[in-house]
Amino acid sequence: MYIHSSSFDLQGERKSMYKQSENSFFKRGEKTSPISVILVTSGSRGNKLLFRYPFQRVADCTSSLTTKQRSPYALNTTGDVLEDPDGDSREQTPLTDQQLVAGFSDIILATILATKSDMCGKKFELKIDNVRFVGHPTLLQHPHTIQVSKTDPSPKREMPTMILFSVVFALRANADPSVISCMHNLSRRIAIALQHEERRCQYLTREAKLMLAVQDEVTNMTETDGSPQSPFRQILPKCKLARDLKEAYDSLCTTGVVRLHINNWLEVSFCLPHKIHRVGGNHVPPEALERSLKAIRPYHALLLLDSEKALLAQLPLDCSPALVRLIKTCSAVKNLQQLAQDADLNLLQIFQIAAHLVYWGKAIIVYPLCENNVYMLSPHANISLYSPLAEAFGQQFPGHDLPSMLAKFSLPLSLSEFRNPLDASVQEAQLIQMVVWMLQRRLLIQLHTYVCLLVPPSEEEPGLLRDEELPLVARVGGRSLSTPSALSFGSPTSSDDMTLTSPSMDNSSAELLPGGDSPLNRRMTETLLASLTEHERQVILNIPAAQSPEDLRMFARLLHYFRGHHHLEEIMYNENMRRSQLKTLFDKFRSVLVVTNHEDPVISLFQSPLE
Amino acid sequence: RGSSCIRIECIFFSEFHPTLGPKITYQVPEEYISRELFDTVQVYIITKPELQNKLITVTAMGKKLIGCPVCIEHKKYSRNALLFNLGLVCDARTKTCALEPIVKKLSGYLTTLELESGFISNEESKQKLLPIMSTLLEELNATGACTLPIDESNTINLKLIEQRRDPLIVQEYDVPVFTQCKDHFIKSQWDLTTQQILAYIDGFRHIQKISAEADVELNLVRIAVQNLLYYGVVTLVSIFQYSNVYCTTPTVQSLIDDRSIQEECLNYVTKKGQKRACLRDVFQLYCGLTPGTTVRDLCSRYSQQLQRVDERRLIQYGLMKALIRRLQKYPVKVTRDERSRPPRLYTGCHSYDEICCKTGMSYKELDERLENDPNIIVCWK
Repeated sequence: MYIHSSSFDLQGERKSMYKQSENSFFKRGEKTSPISVILVTSGSRGNKLLFRYPFQRVADCTSSLTTKQRSPYALNTTGDVLEDPDGDSREQTPLTDQQLVAGFSDIILATILATKSDMCGKKFELKIDNVRFVGHPTLLQHPHTIQVSKTDPSPKREMPTMILFSVVFALRANADPSVISCMHNLSRRIAIALQHEERRCQYLTREAKLMLAVQDEVTNMTETDGSPQSPFRQILPKCKLARDLKEAYDSLCTTGVVRLHINNWLEVSFCLPHKIHRVGGNHVPPEALERSLKAIRPYHALLLLDSEKALLAQLPLDCSPALVRLIKTCSAVKNLQQLAQDADLNLLQIFQIAAHLVYWGKAIIVYPLCENNVYMLSPHANISLYSPLAEAFGQQFPGHDLPSMLAKFSLPLSLSEFRNPLDASVQEAQLIQMVVWMLQRRLLIQLHTYVCLLVPPSEEEPGLLRDEELPLVARVGGRSLSTPSALSFGSPTSSDDMTLTSPSMDNSSAELLPGGDSPLNRRMTETLLASLTEHERQVILNIPAAQSPEDLRMFARLLHYFRGHHHLEEIMYNENMRRSQLKTLFDKFRSVLVVTNHEDPVISLFQSPLE
Repeated sequence: RGSSCIRIECIFFSEFHPTLGPKITYQVPEEYISRELFDTVQVYIITKPELQNKLITVTAMGKKLIGCPVCIEHKKYSRNALLFNLGLVCDARTKTCALEPIVKKLSGYLTTLELESGFISNEESKQKLLPIMSTLLEELNATGACTLPIDESNTINLKLIEQRRDPLIVQEYDVPVFTQCKDHFIKSQWDLTTQQILAYIDGFRHIQKISAEADVELNLVRIAVQNLLYYGVVTLVSIFQYSNVYCTTPTVQSLIDDRSIQEECLNYVTKKGQKRACLRDVFQLYCGLTPGTTVRDLCSRYSQQLQRVDERRLIQYGLMKALIRRLQKYPVKVTRDERSRPPRLYTGCHSYDEICCKTGMSYKELDERLENDPNIIVCWK
């Protein structure tokens, strides 16, 4: 079965979705978006605010200057505190995010955000009422070195020297700590780029000079004309750095993906996972994302969220060839192990690149598409008639509507069942494309079969949970069947712990032993069953199927999977068994096994938000 | 309850001295804030006018300082203004939101004291601050609360309040259920509305029904339940009907893995007066819940397992612990004439529960109405 990724424009969809609700984003106070970006410096000319975005409206400029008068943005004055003995400070009318930060004048921001030099090189965090400022103040030169050398006969330099600078993001005070951490990270990255460019060609000093010149100009104009204007609006067309900061802000508020070219030279790229990994209206915390990525198995597959062409176009020129090879070779029907072979990379590399793509929201992890996969409508799917998804589906697959297609998955449906629809007019290939489309948009979840060993309790004392009756999982030691724990973003690890062959060599026992009822096999079976209680052993041995040594041996061998944490496909992969073999075994021993179907918790992260 | 893991390391009183400028007048314990630290952060402690009366938290050198700068203007003060700030210091990693109301209150108290009796500007009375700060530090760290009389007419009352997450919006078709035994509930601690509806919270009545039977306005019931939700006293489940469909979640395995959940579950779902149900039966019942299977179907298929199990409590427990989830029906009107109005409720956004609650129809009536409409399809999720 060959799957051809069609040219869906997911990024375009996302952007158009956001354009509609852009205004409401700003007003609603999105907890994962910044409220403002501010650039401040400290130097021989004192503390200066060079640029801020969004601009203050002109009305705010004037009111914030007169702090003695009751500003609409001022919270409690001392008088109010007296009235409310509980000390609850409640604003009269809730301020919008913009007003929260607009209430701070340029001067006060310069004072509080341009820190002393001993706060440089570290995370800066300041909270004032409902606003949180985060940045990474960076030293440009050691304060002592700005002294002009005594032996230098040239006149004192006219150009003011900058000692430190800081790119600060203002957020809502109740932003998630991981969002704050991410914003700090971006501030630090921009700072590193700016520091580099400053040392190389005084880029920051030049831009600062431009910005201050425009500010002075506008102030002069205001004094002569009397009509106040925002200097920052004038700065934008003249300063690349200002445009970069505006772009960073805009990107953070919409797609969450930032790509800047500082001085048209150094690239700063960054993504806010909270914006990218949103399911059901909530963001996925980065730590959870990382945990899930570490639990990926070689039998999983990588599903790209953009077309191959679109994805390749987004990559920088100097990107790794391994990444390109992987993107070109990957497919929803191929598992990661096969991908490694096809792309001629080792499995560890595949894992790392796959994790990278997933982190950046360019791909998700699924189980490879095949006939027997069973899918169901995700509880978080947006099935509204008027959703942008419905519209996009109609455009992609003319003549079909999304709700009708989704209704088919109200009951779990296997891919083979789906491919035999009542109306044969629909092409088979197109049906597969539809399923891929729906998976990419997290509309479907895949169900797997899990098995648990539970023996009927003995007659003597039913209903009591004696220590012996502790379920298997508590007694059998956990055998780890997971991918190397050394998988982390960007850190090289040895490939010793990964093999390209199926791990069944290590974990399954009795594979190479001859069949039949040899004493060795019997001993093996006994050992495997030793972890059971006497009662459990008796019940199992009394099952008719247990009379067949082959069946009993297979059962004993797979015993450690029967604790509800390993689904059918995983057992198949690890033990090199066919689905029919397993199903037959489950059926034979059904009197002691309980079977249930649900999504795989390891990858269900990509389909459902965490509690 | 104690003051859940917030430890205040230091309390300081800082002011603007007419000749020495910003300084720390008192701090307990002594010498906690170094000269270096204060130099770095003083701009956030004794601030420009624009920042006065704001709660300011600054992180520096591994510490977090929370304060609220106060300025009282009067001719009698040298420089015509009195500037001071009573703040707290914690470790930089502490979550300090719960301390903010306390800092704000303290700034209010001191302001009052100064305005009433010149408590701070008078050198003699100012010295009383030190023992006050000591007591505050000790009691807040020990119990999370402090009551201190300052003088004849002023007493400080402070309490650390745990910050909780905002609760979900409570809908009229949601069903509140107690998370702990109802008997542990002290009625008199709660407001009148809550007291009035308490008897009707049984884990089966939904909000609309509680409102009708308790004769309390719907929105008041919603707010009261939301309040109970905020404190973790209740959780929400969906309406129970024998026609409901549920399915298992990955969490169902916790019934096997976690001994305490097992115990709790078996005790909860066993029919009153019966011997305790066995794990196998209960687990089989949960696993018997699948898409397409109604509770009624489950009862007929697993009648043996249900001998000692109350199916309503089984479902209730399963929902409360997220071992199972409800599959709701969502009707969508996919085709219609150009002339007919666009669908209002049959858009895929409103479940049967919601539609029936809003329109007063029963499930059966809604089913009959929709089954005969070829333009409407139904999604389950």
